[in-house]
Amino acid sequence: MANGPVYRMMVFMSKRMIACDEASFLISLREDRKLDFRRWWQLKMHLLSCHLCRKYAHQIGELEHSMEVYRDGCSHESCTHHLSHEAGSRIDKELSQELNAK
Amino acid sequence: MSDTNEHKLDPQKWVERYGDYLFSYAIGRVNDSGKAEDLVQETFLAALKARDRFRGASTERTWLTSILKRKIIDTYRKKYSSKESSFGEHDGTVFDGDFYRDEEPFKGHWLEGMGPNSHSFLPEGELEQAELMKFINLCIENLPATLAATFIMRMIDEEDSDTICKELGITPSNLWVMLHRARLRMRECLEKKWLS
Repeated sequence: MANGPVYRMMVFMSKRMIACDEASFLISLREDRKLDFRRWWQLKMHLLSCHLCRKYAHQIGELEHSMEVYRDGCSHESCTHHLSHEAGSRIDKELSQELNAK
Repeated sequence: MSDTNEHKLDPQKWVERYGDYLFSYAIGRVNDSGKAEDLVQETFLAALKARDRFRGASTERTWLTSILKRKIIDTYRKKYSSKESSFGEHDGTVFDGDFYRDEEPFKGHWLEGMGPNSHSFLPEGELEQAELMKFINLCIENLPATLAATFIMRMIDEEDSDTICKELGITPSNLWVMLHRARLRMRECLEKKWLS
């Protein structure tokens, strides 16, 4: 039994199985670059059996979407901060000193 | 010179015209209004020194923004090289004791409460944009400085990986691990913010 084909198959599989740390790393990595086949397959197998990492993958998708919303929003009014009056005049002063020094 | 008008800059008007814009740009990336004010000032002064090099190929605002951007990357680089965070060592391993269990046979499994609790962290229905902005800013603020730098360069400035690696002097495998660790923390932080 210990040397049977099923056993050997299981050893073979477990050596290639990844835990949640690797899986979540690959979920992040695939946002930035294409996974090679081995990693793609390892992730796929892990996700089949791990509901936490399936949730994680979904939420990383939501994070990407949120950052898209963030980027769009910040090019518009909602993200505008105003330079305080004091800071504005201080910088103005520095600039004109520098200009006059020329 | 016949073409001086095209290249004309107007430093007296800079604060009035671009002060708020550059300040907003900086504060979205350094999260500290004092530091952002300093960066705006340094940008204007550096621009003044380099104004002979302004060729009018871009607008005044784009040109000033590119100078500010360099300054911000410099602050990231300083943070990275001073290794002020506990993430000084990036050996390329994915394991992170704050998030995963370290004991066999569960090594690498999610630590209780550090993995996702729900399918979705975004609330149902229409996304409240102002709230999202606020939460994202708070969560970026909670990131260790070096992770924040990579996350911002990648996810807000949309720089490609080669540029980020070159600017921070890190290897691609370091970058992937850092981005992973940043995403781990951002996801966890956003989920907690929305559930509370």
